[in-house]
Amino acid sequence: MSRHMSENDYEDDPEGRDPRDEVDDEEEDEDYEEEPDFSDDPDFVDEIDDAALMGDILARRPKESDGVDSVVVVDGTPVVGPDRLDKLKKIVSKVFGQVGDIVNEHHPVEANGTSKGYVFLEYANHATALEAVRSLNNYRLDKQHKFTVNLFSDFDKYMSIPDEWEPPKEEAYKDQGNLKSWLLNTDAYDQFSIIYEGGEKVAIHQNAKPDPVQLELRPRWTETYLKWSPSGTFLVTLHSPGIAIWGGQDFRKLQRLSHPGVQYVDFSPCERYVVTFAPQAPISDEPTAVIFWEARSGLKKRAFNADGPPVWPLFKWSHDDKYFARMTDESTLSIYETPSFGMLDKKSIKVAGMQDFSWAPTENILAYWVAEDKDVPARVTLIEIPSRNEVRVKNLFNVADCKMHWQKSGDYLCVKVDRYSKLRRERDDGPKYAGLYYNFEIFHMREKQIPVDSVEIKENVQAFAWEPIGHKFAIIHGEGQSLNVSFYGVKTGHTPALLKKYERKTANCLFWSPCGQFIILAGLRNMSGVLEFVDTSDFTTMNTGEHFMCTDVEWDPTGRYVMTGVSWWGHKVDNAYWLWSFQGKILKRCQLDKFCQFLWRPRPPTLLTKKDVKEIKKNFKKYTVDFEAQDMMRSSKASKELIDKRRAKYDEYKAYRAKKLEQFQAYRDMRIQLRNGMDTDTLEVKNAVMEEEVVEFLVKEEVTIVD
Amino acid sequence: MGSGPFPGLRFSPSQSPIWDRFKMKPISLHGHDRAITCIRYNREGDLLFSSAKDHLPNVWYAINGERLGTFGGKNDRDRNSHSGAVWCLDVDWETKNFLSGAADNSVRLWDVCTGKMLNCIETKSAVRTCGFSFSGNLAAFTSDKQMGHPCIINVMDVRDFQADKPVMQVVIPDKGPKVTSLVWSGIEEQIITGHDNGDLAQWDVKSSQKTNIVSDHSKTVTDIQMSKDNSMFISSSKDTTAKLFDTDTLECMKTYKTERPVNSASIAPKFDHVVLGGGQEAMDVTTTSTRIGKFDARFFHLVFEEEFARVKGHFGPINSVQFNPEGTGYASGGEDGYVRLHTFDPTYFSFQFEC
Repeated sequence: MSRHMSENDYEDDPEGRDPRDEVDDEEEDEDYEEEPDFSDDPDFVDEIDDAALMGDILARRPKESDGVDSVVVVDGTPVVGPDRLDKLKKIVSKVFGQVGDIVNEHHPVEANGTSKGYVFLEYANHATALEAVRSLNNYRLDKQHKFTVNLFSDFDKYMSIPDEWEPPKEEAYKDQGNLKSWLLNTDAYDQFSIIYEGGEKVAIHQNAKPDPVQLELRPRWTETYLKWSPSGTFLVTLHSPGIAIWGGQDFRKLQRLSHPGVQYVDFSPCERYVVTFAPQAPISDEPTAVIFWEARSGLKKRAFNADGPPVWPLFKWSHDDKYFARMTDESTLSIYETPSFGMLDKKSIKVAGMQDFSWAPTENILAYWVAEDKDVPARVTLIEIPSRNEVRVKNLFNVADCKMHWQKSGDYLCVKVDRYSKLRRERDDGPKYAGLYYNFEIFHMREKQIPVDSVEIKENVQAFAWEPIGHKFAIIHGEGQSLNVSFYGVKTGHTPALLKKYERKTANCLFWSPCGQFIILAGLRNMSGVLEFVDTSDFTTMNTGEHFMCTDVEWDPTGRYVMTGVSWWGHKVDNAYWLWSFQGKILKRCQLDKFCQFLWRPRPPTLLTKKDVKEIKKNFKKYTVDFEAQDMMRSSKASKELIDKRRAKYDEYKAYRAKKLEQFQAYRDMRIQLRNGMDTDTLEVKNAVMEEEVVEFLVKEEVTIVD
Repeated sequence: MGSGPFPGLRFSPSQSPIWDRFKMKPISLHGHDRAITCIRYNREGDLLFSSAKDHLPNVWYAINGERLGTFGGKNDRDRNSHSGAVWCLDVDWETKNFLSGAADNSVRLWDVCTGKMLNCIETKSAVRTCGFSFSGNLAAFTSDKQMGHPCIINVMDVRDFQADKPVMQVVIPDKGPKVTSLVWSGIEEQIITGHDNGDLAQWDVKSSQKTNIVSDHSKTVTDIQMSKDNSMFISSSKDTTAKLFDTDTLECMKTYKTERPVNSASIAPKFDHVVLGGGQEAMDVTTTSTRIGKFDARFFHLVFEEEFARVKGHFGPINSVQFNPEGTGYASGGEDGYVRLHTFDPTYFSFQFEC
């Protein structure tokens, strides 16, 4: 046989022999001269290994797994005689060709030519093979025949599973140490995290007196931002492959949760669970968009798909971690329970026209509101979970929009209702509202039957905020630059009373102290960072200040300090964070290059009883003396350190100057020579005093005759 | 200069010191109608010279801010006058000769007494820096890298001030950083130059050799000023800092940090203080607020590097600052076209750092 066959010759080979068989034939060919011996000496040791010589080619060397992983086995094909085999082949390749190009197929046949009822197909790559298994498994060809598709390599895997079940090994208990060690600080210093240099550096500081102290500094600790858990136990960093949870005394890594493309993180209120959200994840049978994890163990509990626009949080938690809920399709409220992560009572709540919902912050009550529909009024409904009993329904008319605001202690719910006096329906843009005014419906949660009071504001409302602990709320209302701030007090059995109205304030944001009583009226954004610190017990302005172009205002968890910051994320110059006392006294200005984010480490609620707190307040004077003595000591120590540092610097400088002066004196003659014999070293104007001579010129003479 | 030499200025030992007459209140000198580029006191501190982007350098009585005269005529076509922005100036120790360099590709030598131009050297590109040596016999100037012409450092003999007779000439290679500031150091033998990449170089005039180079600044060096005894100098830079160097070794000893480009810095002759002037560059100011621009003159302790005072006033960046030789006040010239003469109030003199 000639060894100079063309490619086509192979295909026409009637015996269907593998062309590789021909290798043997070559040896018979003797047409060539004797070849020189290229083989190496037996002693020769190659200095260069193949990898160095042709690494690029070796990298493309076919791997065993290449072929095997892209082969699928199709069971359940019809058993047909040789006459109909071709037709079967055609059908099979048509069905499986949809997924991707079939590189190779094999139809095993019995001795008599009938097919065996299964087929081997090879795809171009593993991914296509996987796709074929996913989409064509259980494909129904006709009534009798259903394809079962499996990866060829899976057979091995399933074969090797032992018949006996072996219980998994118990993992040793990992002690995570004391995760609450930061609370043991005797001075009750709070910690805070900062991201600066555009995200390059992340640091954790302790807000010590007189200056904050750096505890940790790690370059590129997070890829985007940081998040503290609600009680401050954990710190979360975000990375493109997932999140990491840190904690303990030295911020060790406690967990690493893999979730590619994660962008948002949320904790359940009691820190038992973590929710991660990757908005780019595709919708599939195996959801990867939202994943629920157990914080302590890092176990994946359940995953959900996220359809619709990415809003966060997608799921809202009840106060005790027992339930979480989300709204889908505008009218379905799905409530899930922990730790089973199944739907509560296996059915969701369907209310046509439901717009939004929220959980009460201290009990398992859920509030939702339903939009107006023709003659049916809008309504706000409070239901108890898990019983689903309606505890209060309030009907509302002429409603354009509602916003629910719970007071942090759960004593009140305020529903801000945007109401209209005129409605115009336009075909394309939906309804147009005119003559908007605002009602604040106050639900008294702690009273029988939950009575509702109403406050009406005719002007545009810019901001609303409840006093976190207490009975007041603040509203900013008005148009353009002339904004008014009103404070209302809520009392049992009374309609909310206007306590104070400030007119024409430069303020568009409200920041209550977490302990109540004190509030900052801030003019952020176009109001360039004006701050007013108000004591709402008697409505005195304690202080005013300004942090120019300030973007963030954050109270510390104890309500003792406030941070104002200009974040690089919001404003590109003068990035800095400033610390103030709650009275509005500036304590510290920290200029940081490309400062991005400042977060106080939250604290768990106090363990002191109300009685204890009262006791402490009563003996406040006694403690003040101690604290002041401590502060004095600290600041005198700090100033001593500073002075020592300065003195060292000054001594060093003095030594340097003495040396220089000596040098200077040495060149005195040269200087005098250069300046024509004049000694300019000592020629000083010190004693010379100038005399100003007034020279008057007669420029013009004008004569006015007065009679 | 219009009105003859120094009418009404005389020294007399009997009267109260000159600086006591003007307490605190700055004198605003409005003799330029464009941004001030450079201000310098003479050695005695009785006169203040100023140049601006308009074409006429001015000289003022430092005592009362009265204008003594102008260098150059009103007409731009006057051959004896600059016809471009004046970038730099210097005056010799005797207040005899005055030197100015401008964007009209010339450096001019003037007689201070008469205000007459003595000589003019035409260059190929704008003159960025100039300075007299210790004796006043030599003058250095540099020209910009511009229109294909390289940046050149020249040293001339003032007594024979002609373009073709340089004492020293160094051409900065095409890819090299151009000179943005210059000062004489040592006694007649050295020049220190600041460059637009933040480098500081030391040159030996006799051998025309570079003897040292340091790169402590990361951006353009905007100004260099000597201490009173020439043993230290302060450099200011667009990298928002000013730094104190040893003149001989070019060792960086102190750094004064701000948040804005620093255009000029000066060492106080009397106390261990420095003053920095600068601010957001006019083209970078996004809002009209002067607060964000930070156009204040800022005072630092020379040794502790701590800021202890700020003086407001300019409504554009400060381009040039200098303490008066007595250390009893300072002058600043800004992008806003004003020169402000400040006299320190008594608290300045009683102020002390704890140490």
